[in-house]
Formats: sequence, C-alpha cells, structure tokens
Amino acid sequence: MVERSVDEALLLLRKRLCDLHFIFSVFSDSPDSNYSKLKFIVSSSVTEACNNSLLLLGPRGCGKIAVLDLVLEDLLKEYPDMISVIKLNGLLHCDDNCALKEIARQLCIEHELMFSKVASYDDNSQFMIAMLRECGLAHKTVVFVLDEFDLFAQGKQRLLYSLLDAMQSVSSQAVVIGVSCRLDADQLLEKRVRSRFSHRKLLFLPPQKDDLQRLLKHILLLPTDSNLSRDYVTDFNSRISNIIADKRFIEITDKLTDSDCTVSNFMRFLFSAVSCIDSKSGYMTLENFKSALSTIQRQPKLDCLKDCSILELYIMVCMKRLEVKEQESYNFNSVMKEYKTIHDSFKTSDYYSHNVCLRAFEHLLDRQLVEFADRGHNQCIEYRSVKLLISHSELHQGLKSNRSCPVSYLKTCMI
Amino acid sequence: MPSIAVAIVGGDAPSPHKRRLRSNSALIDNPVINTPSKSCPPVKSKSARQRVNDSPSTNRANVETGVTKMNNNNNNNNLPVKKLLDGLLDKPIWNPTELGQISVVKEALHVSTAPSMAVCREDEQKRIVEFCRQSIVEEKAGSLYICGCPGTGKSLSVENVKGCLAVWAKETGSQLPDILTINCTSLSSTSEIFNKILEKSQPNKKVSGRSTPLKQLQQLYFQKQQSSDTKMMLVIADELDYLITKDRVVLHDLFMLTTLPFSKVILIGIANAIDLTDRFLPKLQSLNCKPTVVSFRSYSMDQIIMILKQRLMALPYAVFQPQALELCARKVAAASGDMRKALGICRGAIEMLETELREATCTSTLTSMVRVDHMAFALSRAYKSPIVDTIQSLPQHQQIVLCSVVKHFRKGKKDTTIGELNKFYIDVCKSTLIPPVGVMELSCMCRVLGDQGILKLGQSRDDKLRRVTLQIDEADIIFALQGIRFFRNCLQ
Repeated sequence: MVERSVDEALLLLRKRLCDLHFIFSVFSDSPDSNYSKLKFIVSSSVTEACNNSLLLLGPRGCGKIAVLDLVLEDLLKEYPDMISVIKLNGLLHCDDNCALKEIARQLCIEHELMFSKVASYDDNSQFMIAMLRECGLAHKTVVFVLDEFDLFAQGKQRLLYSLLDAMQSVSSQAVVIGVSCRLDADQLLEKRVRSRFSHRKLLFLPPQKDDLQRLLKHILLLPTDSNLSRDYVTDFNSRISNIIADKRFIEITDKLTDSDCTVSNFMRFLFSAVSCIDSKSGYMTLENFKSALSTIQRQPKLDCLKDCSILELYIMVCMKRLEVKEQESYNFNSVMKEYKTIHDSFKTSDYYSHNVCLRAFEHLLDRQLVEFADRGHNQCIEYRSVKLLISHSELHQGLKSNRSCPVSYLKTCMI
Repeated sequence: MPSIAVAIVGGDAPSPHKRRLRSNSALIDNPVINTPSKSCPPVKSKSARQRVNDSPSTNRANVETGVTKMNNNNNNNNLPVKKLLDGLLDKPIWNPTELGQISVVKEALHVSTAPSMAVCREDEQKRIVEFCRQSIVEEKAGSLYICGCPGTGKSLSVENVKGCLAVWAKETGSQLPDILTINCTSLSSTSEIFNKILEKSQPNKKVSGRSTPLKQLQQLYFQKQQSSDTKMMLVIADELDYLITKDRVVLHDLFMLTTLPFSKVILIGIANAIDLTDRFLPKLQSLNCKPTVVSFRSYSMDQIIMILKQRLMALPYAVFQPQALELCARKVAAASGDMRKALGICRGAIEMLETELREATCTSTLTSMVRVDHMAFALSRAYKSPIVDTIQSLPQHQQIVLCSVVKHFRKGKKDTTIGELNKFYIDVCKSTLIPPVGVMELSCMCRVLGDQGILKLGQSRDDKLRRVTLQIDEADIIFALQGIRFFRNCLQ
C-alpha cells in the first residue's frame, strides 16, 4: 500500500516538474506580475479592437514563453473564435521568404483553406494583408508570436516592416508579441521599424529568494486531497517543511542560485533531487538535494584528477613547477629532468624508469589533462613542447581530493 | 495561389460606431470625426476648470515639483503654450469607469486613425499639391522627393494630397491622373517596380517577354504617343531606399523615366535620408532635372500639442490635464519628434490611469483625468532601458564577472580573453572570500551574458581564447551595482 503511494507521489512530483504551466502559475496571482500585465494588454487589444505590439525581454529560462502560453490559453477560453495565434521562430524561419510562407501556411490551417507550396513571396504577402483585412472585418484578432525576435531584426527587416505597417491601417486587428533574450532587442531595429513598434516592454527577471521558497513549497508539497494515503502525505509534507527551513538546505540553494538563478536551472536541480528519492523509504532527505547539486555543478577535470595514478600526478606537479619557473616551453625531457631534481632534493622513495614515465605521460595526453603546444607531427613525443590544460588551483584541489596522494606531494607543489 | 474563400463568419454584432469605422473604409470622405471647429463653444460653467485647479493631485510632491519646474522654466514662453492648451478644459471631465468612453478615447489616439486634416503639415502639403497640379496642367513629367524622419507625417500627407487632387480635378474638370502607390519593401526584386508601372500604364496589353519592362517603358516614352489623350500617371514610391542597389542603377533609371521627352510619369519618392538625391542621383543634376525636395522636419513641442489637441477635440469630454500633454510633447520633441511615439505614450498614460482606478478602493476622491504623474510614468517606461534592472537581478557570480570586467577595462585595454578574465575574476573573489567557480562554469556564465547582449564574445577554437568585450555602458553597470557595498568599494 505504501509502495504504491510512493510511486504515485513520485510520478506526481515528476509530472509537476515537467509542466511549465504548473510552475509559472504560482507567480500569476499578484496584479503586477507579468502574467496579469500581459493578459491586460492582449485582452484590451482584443476587446477594444485596436492594434498593439510589445516585447518580452529577459534571460533564458525565466518563463517568457511559458507565461505567454498561459495567457494565450486563458484568453482562448475566454474569447473563443475571436483570437487566432500565429507562431514564428527566428531560428527556424531565418529569412523573410521562409517566414512569410510559414505565416501563410498557419493562416490557411487556422481558417481551413488550401495552402499552395508554390506561392511566391508577393502572393504570400498579399494573402497575409488580405487575411488581416478579413479578420479585421470579422472582429477577429490575429496574435503574432515572434520567438527569438533579435534574429528577425537581422538583414533588411522586411518581414517586421510589412507586419508592423499592416498594423498601421484601420482595417487590420493584430497584436505582435516579440520574445527575446537580448536586452537591446529594440535598438537592433531600423528606425522606421522602431517608430512603428510601440515602446512597450515587459521584463522577465529571475525570481528572488522568497519567490523561490514559494515555488519550492508549491511544487514539493503533496496535495492533501489526492488519492494518496493521508498519513503518508502529512508525513512527507512535514519532512519537506523541515528540510526547507534547515540552514544547510539554504546553503545548498544559495550555492546553486549564486551562479545561475533562472527557474529552468532550479527545476533541473529539483528533478534531479526527486529522482534520487529512495523508493524504500519514500521520503525526501537533505542527501537527495546534496547529490543533486553535485550532478548539476560538475567539475569533469577534477573528477578526472581523482582517478589519476601517483606517477601521473607527479608528472603534472613537475610541469606546474616548470611553468612557475616561467619556462615558456618545455617538453617531456625537461619534465623528466625536473622529476630527477625533485627526487634528488626531496629523497622520495619511488623513481620510475623513462619508459614507465612515458606511458604515464601518454595516459595524461589521452585524458586531455595535458596537450601538445605545437602542431608538428614530425618529432617524436619526447621532444614536442607540451602544456598543462588545467590551472594550478585546479591541480591543487585535485591533489587534495585524490585519496591515494601522499602529503609530501602537496609540499612540493606548494612552491 | 491560396484561395481567399470568405469562410469567416462574422463575430457578434459590434457597436454601430465601430462597425462604421472598420467595415466601410470608403467612407473616408465622410469621416465620422468631423473637422474641428476653429472656436470652442462658450464655457457654460467655470466649475470644471476650478475643480481641476483645486484637485488633491496637484498637492502631491512629485507632481508639484514637475509643475512648478515647468512654470519656472519658461515664464515667458508659457503664454503661447497656455493658449494652445486653453480649449481643452472647457468640456466636462470624462468618466473612465464607463467602458465605452475608454475605448473611444484610445481609438482617437491610435496611430491607425487618420485625422481628416493633417495639422501642422499644411505648407508641405500645399507644395506637393502645387507641384502635382502644375505637372498635370502642363502635361509635363516631373519628380519630387519627400524626406524626413520616421513618424513625421509623410505618408499621411501624401494620402491627403491624393484626396485633394481628386477634389480639385472634379472642380476644375481636368483629368485626374492614374495613381499608383507602391511600397518598395513589398517588391521581391528591385526591378519589379518597372513591371508595375508598365502594367498600370497599359492595362489591356499583355506584358511581352521580349524586352525588359524598363526598356519597354523607355521605348514608350521616347516616341510621341498615338492617342493624345493618354493620362498622366502619378507614381508614389514609399520607402524608396529599398530600391538602392550596389550599382544604384534601378533608382537612377526610375528617376530618368521622368526626363524622357514624352514621359507621362509624375514621380513622388518618399524616404528617410535627406541627401538621397545628392548621394545616389548625381547624374541628374548635370541633366538639370534634379527632383524637388520637400523635407518634413520633426515635430516641435507646439506642433505635437496641436496635433494631440486636434485628435482630442472631437471627443465631448476632457481627458487629459493640460500639463500632462505638455510634458509628453516636451519629452517626445526633445527625443525624436516622432508623432507615433507621442500617441503611444498618451495611450500608455491612459492605461496607467485604468490600472490605478482598478486598484483604488474609493475612486471619488481622485479626479479621473490623466495627470502628470501618469504621463511621467508612461514616459519613463517608454524611454527606460531594462539594463539596470536586469543587472541588479543577475546571480551573484555573474555580477562579480561584470565587476571584474569593468575594473580591468578601466586600465586601458578594452578587450580581453576568457582565460585572462578568469584570473581577474579569481582575484575579485579572493578579496571577499567567496569561492570562485571553475573556468568552465565561468565560460558558461560569459555565454549567458553574451546572449543577453551585455558582453560580446568572439569566436575561437579554444574556449579560453575567446575575446570578450563590453557591449553596454560602463556607467550603467556602476549605477546598477552601487547598492551593494562590496561592489561599490571594488569599483571605486
């Protein structure tokens, strides 16, 4: 009985984390959220039958398209048959011909007309203007969504000009919504296109810390009225509330949001944490979040260093010493000389032969921890100049985390 | 060809006022908005004006500073502006809670509502009409070039000119020329304009494929026509600079069409550049047929106020406080003189009022006119760039990256590589004991910042060698980060 509840609960949580509408609906309550502002602008254009244009700006992963989809869904329910939506993407429809063809195709699908693939640019643009006029007469608003708006602003901007010019006439009823992650997207427009584009901009910013808390609770707390067992749900929720209030959890989320505080990154983190839930116990623990953080903030080169053998580490330490001595280019033979001098001065126990060291060096080359600094293939490996591909601090950290590394290496590295 | 079947069923019946404006565009000659009368009706009661002067809004601190500043700045110039805004308050104040009124006002201020008379452009229109009349009467071909910044009423004036010519032709009985309006952005190739001119001048003849349309037109106009009553053709080419090609041939040929001995083309070209004819048509000067240039200057503050007033005259109630309109006109005239922007900002101010009324619990105490603070808010939204807000909401490490970029670029060099940036970033992190992130994550953050248009990243094989430059102003970053003490000290 409990097993099934756990499975169902996990399914519910994972479904929530993949549903953008659910995630962004938590921010839509307040009257000055972007959701309500956007809804007000689009709905007033629909009801008052006037043309409008606006830009949605903000870094990637902050919910611009998600909130726009939410708004359009709600408006389609409120005003059925009065709105038709045309979606374009700057990455897919890169030039004007392609974009206009796509507009004509989508208009044909919306109004159940036959689309001809051989229509020319002229035909398509006349069709679009005629359709806009017809929709205007029938009091239907056409909403154009231009994703990756800054890519449409390259070149001669013909599509943007013809769209915005069509909106200057009384006979059409359209809303143009541009979505972009470039903050200066409207500066990229030519001045006559910019003059026709209204100055409205909605800025989507990543959520602040208290908004993130609200989002966490909204997603992770299980609903009490579902068909999961009541005890399990209350237990689960109380554990989650305890974890959220814990100082260590706050440290973990701070570490995550200090480098990337967008909602999509946070959702990836939560998904990873939810997937780590032990299905036997069925509850979330702080360990889940810790392991999720380490999967998101991976350091692949440090992971590589953890598995290196002691000889390989030794070779890298020698190379680092050569670099510190400001030797501009060095090759395998100079590294071997340095190896000998360390062995002589510090009296370390192991001293490996030339061939063994060469094999270890080749391993390092394979692992891409060192690489050749020149492009020539003529000389043999020992004479070609090499360089380290990891920084000194990374090497230092790697030595510390390597389980089999003796303390004396750290001393030699400390020069 | 996609068939334009009328499969759209009309929606629910709209209000009669709207239907008239939308469905019958042929009703342009009998517009719903009547031409404004020169003098306003006499004031019945002075209470409206007194009420405005005593409204609580004028006691608010920010409004007061705005209004007193304006009053102090031009004590001498205030009089003509006051005269301009005089008639506005003679009407009863509107009631914005009535839905119909808001939509009517917004429609009156919309860019697509063309006013019946283009105010402040009478001189330019007169010149254009004179030029066309002269060409038609003398049956001589000619060319005219209209230039001006966007939003200065060029296309609007040309539409009015078409109407004036029609009226004049009916009155004097002269022959109205064929009018061909082309927007050059809709041409798929630049030489297609000759196709269109040829089709219009010889609608019955099939276009023969033997020679290019340009050659056919040249042949046509080189010889005297058989029938002597072929009409003149007025060609209006909007956005003329789309015809400029590298060898400038198309534009040149187009204007040369008007110089041929038996040409029937009156050409009006519209574009933004003032020196288009000098730069791209130098040969015409030597032939002594340089086109006349009519330049539409950007609107000044007085002109913007007059135009807004004309649009609001038709409404039976007063919507804006005069100071609000003056603020809008002043700001827009100083920035670009673009009328579209002024209209957009006025509509934005109405929306501010709407949201305020929705949120306010008791609406009776506030006057429901659009005030200076609404206008100021709408103006700041229009002219503000989102950069400062975005920088303030960036995650901490990205802010540190920006700070290290600014600090490094102060020393002189204006670009660096990601590897070098990593060093500066680690230095800044060390000074505050924040553990720095690895270089891969740093290059990810730089890429995110580059996506947003804050940094500019070059291309390189090796990630660490990509060049990094700042794309926004250093002062913006310093201003945005000044609230945090660490950055303030770091960037001193």
